[in-house]
Amino acid sequence: MSSKNLSKTIEKVLSDEREVRAATAPYQAEFPYERDDEAQVTRREFCGFLAVTSTALFLSAAGFAGKAAYDSTKIEAFPPLKIEGAKDLEIGSALNFRYPTEMDTAILIRAANGNFYAFGQKCTHLSCPVYYAKESDRIECPCHEAGFDVKTGNVLYGPPPRPLDRIAIEMQNGEVWAMGRIAGGHES
Amino acid sequence: MNGDSNKSRPTRGITAIFQAKLVLMVMINLAQLWILAATIEAALARHYKELAPLVVASGVCWLISLSIIFWWKPLRRR
Repeated sequence: MSSKNLSKTIEKVLSDEREVRAATAPYQAEFPYERDDEAQVTRREFCGFLAVTSTALFLSAAGFAGKAAYDSTKIEAFPPLKIEGAKDLEIGSALNFRYPTEMDTAILIRAANGNFYAFGQKCTHLSCPVYYAKESDRIECPCHEAGFDVKTGNVLYGPPPRPLDRIAIEMQNGEVWAMGRIAGGHES
Repeated sequence: MNGDSNKSRPTRGITAIFQAKLVLMVMINLAQLWILAATIEAALARHYKELAPLVVASGVCWLISLSIIFWWKPLRRR
């Protein structure tokens, strides 16, 4: 490349942006458009949009935290519930029930050691229903291959961020009663 | 270089500044998204002690983004 051509190319590159990006390719004749239309959103406008997004994210975080803090001041009352069919549950099997409301599905498990354990049935990852895997004696989520400890509800593997919700149970006259529901990962 | 390209130089500088502001804003938004996800997780797990620091962190990010928008102006060339 001669020095004249080189300087011409440099000048073209360093020249005004609109000049460099002129629509001169043959295919652009078939699909004509205005450069001004293409640049409808400027950097400045997009910065403004991101500022609005930042405000929305901050308000969302504050709203969630405020709602959770408000809910924590209310004492949740869980009515005792007799779990029907628990008495006849065989070792290494499970049954489903609803507690504390009809909307809250739960699973009662009679583990290999003969003890009863109950948990909320919603996986803490994306709320898929978990099931008891008898052969491995653990609770599993089929959606993303997560596993939970059958005694504690703790995450053994997979993507869930916290343990399953625990259902407090009591044995009364050979019957199993649900007495309360404790959120997974709740320290106190 | 001709006269037009000399005139366009300050514009290119301002474009670079807005590009930098844009990149910073995107990073702050990503951080705030992560903070929001952590806040939701903490709220669902009843980890109430974690909520206040997360909200404060999100607020600091928001203030930084506001400062980027309203106070970081390019100096005018005399």
